[in-house]
Amino acid sequence: MKTILVWDLPLRLFHWLFAFSFAAAWLTAESDEWLSLHAFFGYLMLGLIGFRLVWGLVGSRYARFSSFLYGPRAGLDYLRASLTGHAARHLGHNPAGSQAVYLLLGLGLLAGFSGLFVQGGEEQHGATAGAFGYVVGNLIKEGHGFLANLMLLVVFAHLAGVALESWLHKENLARSMVTGLKAAEPGTPAARPNRLIGLLLLAAVTAFGAGWFFYAWHEPVERMGGHDDAAREAPPVAFVGKTLPESALWQEECGSCHLAFHPSLLPARSWQSLLAGQDRHFRDDLGLEAATVAKLLAFAVPNSAEQHASEAAWKINRSVPADATPLRITETPYWVKKHREIAAADWKNPKVKSKANCAACHQDAEAGTYEDAAMRIPR
Amino acid sequence: MNRISLLLAATAVLTIASPSALAAQPGSALLDTYHAAAMKEEPGFRDFSARRGEQFFHAKHGDTSCASCHTDNPKAGGKHAKTGKAIEPLAPVANAKRLSDAAKVEKWFKRNCNDVLQRACTAREKGDFVAWLVSVK
Ligand code: HEC
Ligand code: HEC
Ligand code: HEC
Repeated sequence: MKTILVWDLPLRLFHWLFAFSFAAAWLTAESDEWLSLHAFFGYLMLGLIGFRLVWGLVGSRYARFSSFLYGPRAGLDYLRASLTGHAARHLGHNPAGSQAVYLLLGLGLLAGFSGLFVQGGEEQHGATAGAFGYVVGNLIKEGHGFLANLMLLVVFAHLAGVALESWLHKENLARSMVTGLKAAEPGTPAARPNRLIGLLLLAAVTAFGAGWFFYAWHEPVERMGGHDDAAREAPPVAFVGKTLPESALWQEECGSCHLAFHPSLLPARSWQSLLAGQDRHFRDDLGLEAATVAKLLAFAVPNSAEQHASEAAWKINRSVPADATPLRITETPYWVKKHREIAAADWKNPKVKSKANCAACHQDAEAGTYEDAAMRIPR
Repeated sequence: MNRISLLLAATAVLTIASPSALAAQPGSALLDTYHAAAMKEEPGFRDFSARRGEQFFHAKHGDTSCASCHTDNPKAGGKHAKTGKAIEPLAPVANAKRLSDAAKVEKWFKRNCNDVLQRACTAREKGDFVAWLVSVK
């Protein structure tokens, strides 16, 4: 027996990145707050599977599908043989392990693509935005979740199989997937290392990740994959983002001269300062009673920019220097940056009138979500 | 007639009569309050005038008038002169919620009079204005 290379570098990288992206996507599905990350891992997984399909045709010896073209029946037979303790050792994928490979690739594809449609339907975000509405998106989500759970089951079966095989043939299969090496009879052909392609794969994944997060820094991640201009002009459904808490009193007292700016658009200290100065509110005396002010603060402070994960809240809060207390949303650096490129003529449009007339351009201004899909400059 | 049908008839009459009885002339309680206040403010005061109220609404003070935000037609929706925010019509015929909450009316008189006249409105000005608004048909 001598040690030879069985799993080439691209295959090993694929294996671990695929496992990682699935695990990460599974974990980030937990909360909507991580939706952007979840979508990222989904796209990553789809890209990896795409690579694997190609590599199954042109990769090195043991990576090729032709080296483990076993049907389900062969897989079952092999499993039975393993359980009774006399299954033959395979250098590449054994017939039962091959079933796991095909199932995981297939389920990964289905889960990934269904995810694209959930995102497009429910959120009106991503590559399939506008393909259908919320209801269909929500239905697909049921299937998406089911597929992901099924995939997790197959992962567990795969892990059990690896453990069983390792024990039966007294070799550490997991370590082989790291080093690529396995013991073989002299004269057995080894795999080509394909280091360059492995490095290219790694570079592509890194660039994709970096690009995504760089983009996310400036733009909502959800928009990745492209909202076309038509969708911008007319959102396919009136966009309803993650709903933020509302207050009837806030609406009543702060929503008649201008729209009731959602408290998540300024830090708590700004609201405290605005309400302390309510008798000099942009040259108006609001004439509010102390009890009313206290109730308004009790809504504004726990819902201020620090407290919400909506994109606008998070970015506005991050943009305001710690020693500043802006009294206008329209003076926060993030707001200024986002609106810098709007033409002077658009601001002068009588339908807009004031920078503070957010609802003129943002259909969801009352809700405070400020989704891209809900934005339209009146012309 | 037996007792049951009498009871039913009485209930029916009450059900039909009560909404109109409860919904007295809009603003009438307001007018009473302003009337009493105006009597105190101006010894010679007699009664409110819808015509004076209408003039007051349209009168320009510098660039602004009440109509800057509420438009010339009290039955039409307006638009806040600074922020562009839509404002529902002021006349109770067009908007039943108007003049139904005395504290709210006072709050807005305080703000809007300050805005337009740079001072508080007198009881007569308020009464004239309310008298005009309720007379708009
Ligand atoms: C009587 C009318 C009136 C009421 C009621 C009112 N505001 Fe304002 N508010 C204004 C005006 C006028 C501006 C200046 C608008 C402009 O510059 O376009 C303003 C501006 C603001 C701004 C800054 C908007 C920007 O440019 O980013 C905030 C924040 C604000 N108001 C909060 C509140 C809150 C909170 C309440 C409730 C307690 C409230 N307002 C009630 C008249 C009002
Ligand atoms: C004249 C139209 C107009 C008005 C009025 C306006 N916005 Fe915007 N807003 C835009 C446009 C256009 C963009 C997109 C800029 C971009 O993507 O670079 C935008 C982007 C934003 C974003 C970032 C959204 C995202 O996900 O990228 C936020 C938050 C926002 N606006 C908040 C406000 C608030 C709060 C107000 C009122 C105080 C307001 N806007 C008033 C036109 C307007
Ligand atoms: C800067 C804009 C602006 C101006 C000028 C203005 N108003 Fe108003 N007014 C408002 C707004 C905003 C409301 C609240 C609308 C709402 O509750 O829907 C209001 C409400 C009112 C109400 C409350 C009605 C009710 O029962 O709800 C009265 C009365 C009123 N205005 C009278 C006047 C009078 C009289 C003047 C002139 C002295 C005037 N307004 C000028 C903006 C204005």
